[in-house]
Amino acid sequence: HNDLPFNLRTLNHNFLKNFTFEDLKNDPVWWNCSTCFTDLKRLLAGKLGAQFWVAYVPCKSQYKDAVEQTLEQIDVIKRLIQKYPDHLQLVTTADGIWEAFRKKKIGSLIGVEGGHSIDSRLAVLRQMYDLGVRYLTLTHACNTPWARASPVDNVSLTSDLNKEHHGGLTEFGKTVVLEMNRLGMLVDLSHVSHQTMIDAISITKSPVIFSHSSAYALCNHHRNVHDDVLVMTAKNGGVVMVNFYSEFVQCNTTRNATVDDVIAHINHIRKVAGVNHVGIGSDYDGVDSMPVGLEDVSKYPHLFERLAQTNEPRWSTEDLKKLAGLNLIRVFKEVELVCI
Amino acid sequence: MEVVREPEKFENTTATTIICNNYLHYHAANQYTVNADRKSACRSLQKTDDLDLIERAVSTADDTITAIGEPYRQAGSPDLAQKLPNGAAAIFQSPSPSGEKGTGTDSDGSDRRRGERAVLELDCKQWLAVCGLLIVAAALGVGVGVPLALELRSSRLLEARLQVVKRILQEVPLVDGHNDLPWNIRKFLHNQLHDFHFSEDLRQQEPWSQSVWSHTDLHRLKQGMVGAQFWSAYVPCGSQYLDSVQLTLEQIDVIRRLVDKYPNQMQLVTTAKGIEEAYHSGRVASLIGVEGGHSLGSSLAVLRMFYQLGARYMTLTHTCNTPWADSSLADDPSDTLPMDFIEHGGLSGFGNLVIREMNRLGMMVDLSHVSVQTMVDALDVTKAPVIFSHSSALALCNSSRNVPDHILRKLAVNGGIVMVSFFNNFLSCTDTATLHDVIAHINHIRAIAGVNHVGLGAGYDGINLTPTGLEDVSRYPMLLAELARDRQWSSSDIKKLAGSNLVRVFREVEKDTYNTFSIQVRDDWSQVGPTEDWISMEDLDGKTYCRYPGT
Repeated sequence: HNDLPFNLRTLNHNFLKNFTFEDLKNDPVWWNCSTCFTDLKRLLAGKLGAQFWVAYVPCKSQYKDAVEQTLEQIDVIKRLIQKYPDHLQLVTTADGIWEAFRKKKIGSLIGVEGGHSIDSRLAVLRQMYDLGVRYLTLTHACNTPWARASPVDNVSLTSDLNKEHHGGLTEFGKTVVLEMNRLGMLVDLSHVSHQTMIDAISITKSPVIFSHSSAYALCNHHRNVHDDVLVMTAKNGGVVMVNFYSEFVQCNTTRNATVDDVIAHINHIRKVAGVNHVGIGSDYDGVDSMPVGLEDVSKYPHLFERLAQTNEPRWSTEDLKKLAGLNLIRVFKEVELVCI
Repeated sequence: MEVVREPEKFENTTATTIICNNYLHYHAANQYTVNADRKSACRSLQKTDDLDLIERAVSTADDTITAIGEPYRQAGSPDLAQKLPNGAAAIFQSPSPSGEKGTGTDSDGSDRRRGERAVLELDCKQWLAVCGLLIVAAALGVGVGVPLALELRSSRLLEARLQVVKRILQEVPLVDGHNDLPWNIRKFLHNQLHDFHFSEDLRQQEPWSQSVWSHTDLHRLKQGMVGAQFWSAYVPCGSQYLDSVQLTLEQIDVIRRLVDKYPNQMQLVTTAKGIEEAYHSGRVASLIGVEGGHSLGSSLAVLRMFYQLGARYMTLTHTCNTPWADSSLADDPSDTLPMDFIEHGGLSGFGNLVIREMNRLGMMVDLSHVSVQTMVDALDVTKAPVIFSHSSALALCNSSRNVPDHILRKLAVNGGIVMVSFFNNFLSCTDTATLHDVIAHINHIRAIAGVNHVGLGAGYDGINLTPTGLEDVSRYPMLLAELARDRQWSSSDIKKLAGSNLVRVFREVEKDTYNTFSIQVRDDWSQVGPTEDWISMEDLDGKTYCRYPGT
């Protein structure tokens, strides 16, 4: 999960003409932006093989022009890929990830972040699939008419949200999940409420993902995944792609988060769900602070080096490959094959 | 216009069957000997490359020629009997008033010759008797047989023309520019296709059977020999500034799902080459056209996404101005529609960018529904041929939906095409019209713009008043058969009207053409990237109540 496209919208109004993605070091706006962690130079240093670029539009656009804005974000992702054909390649299948990887390009996939982007219309979901979208995060930080988002679980909130029934998916919400199964689109349960996670995993015919969520047991933020859901995900065959955001990996405000906190989350998920069900979902460009040691997209190798040094648990090369990408590719492949 | 006056050259016109076979074609194969007299007679009637004349093999009683190809069949239907006799190249009269079938046999021919020889051996008195009898018979024949013969002749002539037209439509796909079935599916079925029996006769099914707006099903498309159809992803102007983008996605979705539901009869197509491939595999090539710039929400990104979803033309406006283009209502405001239009005097600066982006993508610019000034502006800006997917000639019916002559002249230079609408109000400017009105419009557009710039865009399922003779999508061959009476419409011209003009335009507009000799609009665009501009707030002029303005 990388939110660069939203930065493109807010900082560049989706203009790519003068966007020096090769190296943003000399761009005063981008270099000084607190939510900006990504450019080609650092992606290459980070040895990134594939990236889900996120077509996100704010919750405030729900019931307004969310669909149109989402199409604009899908468009900017595609134009970015077209602009850098030597480094980026649009990918829409699991095999495509391998193809791009062999050609030493970053396999670039599209995810839509938030059910509000489909305006409760299955036709819009289908057409987005045809445009290349391969996951839909069922909610962002707002409820849709058919799914509850994680803020309803926020015990510290005194807003109306908290007073609502801590619901999950409505019947229509279940229909959305089943249609995604039929299409072969990954169901992403980051951002959704605890009950929505349970409802979705119960109804889905395919493995699910959490594109950028960490472990509730280590940091009890409503964006993180409870252990009971981790167990369900393991049974479901899905994958939890760990979010690096400081506030999700380290709830103790007295100190900064570090790469070791991220490693703790990875290890916890490995312990509860299994090594086949953990992955990487950094959330770069979607947050405003990253842990020490993971300052930007060039730091992935550092994470893997630290993991390789861990003894408890032991991370074999095979395990590291699963974490890096094989688990996600396996899930993607299974999702493509499901027919209902 | 009546076609052939040559009957006067033949002396024996009451009991002679004259055949104009494709004698050159057959003769070249050296399979047949051709009677020299007939050859010269036929030669005077036909041009050697005139397929319709050549193929009009109706009947023969000559045992030296056997008709190959479609045997002539007597139609016998009351409809055909209504048709006026036509001096088509194949002129024949039945050898007897009994109206036999046209395919002669050897025995008939030899009988006639034996009969003729017998006549010459009589003496004078018997001659007089015979002559008297002959005169009486002739009078009877004329009184009874001629009308009957004329009826039979006209019906056989029409049937003959239909056979030729059907032959033509087996060689080139008939391409219709505009059908609004998807909106009917939304209206009647809320886009739910599980109970939609498109392969059955919808005239027997509710609610289609009750609707004057319904003209289309697979069966009638097949009868109409429709090779390719642009299905319209139309959403009403009332959705502008509201949920037009989402609604358009839903209409694109229903078209795709309909095509998926009938894979043996329909095929989604997005290229000119695709039209030909689908056609040769026996499926209706199904293309998508977006009807109305309001569907874009004034976003070029949305335009690009529609293109990626398969839309291959966009009608710049429907019956409302967009923030960047004027519709025909600017030329003819209606009392019943809201008058809060912003007018731009044609296309705004952003409108020019829309055209430019459409050219770059390879999406055809459709100028039906737009104002005359918008037509002028678009024709100035575009680098590719344009279309009118469903419009007729203003000179014959002064509707703001029709195309003025000066635009037709510009269109000829542009290389585009007007696909003639079958809506009565646009044909006759009244509620009633006939097939002949459509022909008049076709001929007018041909006269002003040229035969390379005319096509068919009936607008079935989007109109409630269809011409007599063109009641539904099964009637295209009848239109062409009637057109074929006109000498200026050779078979190659009919092919152009039916579909090859549109295919030519499409090829020229496309990004990748497989025919390297056709004009590539894209040559200039390879270094030009997508247009990133946004419409200005001034253009939107307060119509932003359903937009999130944060970004």
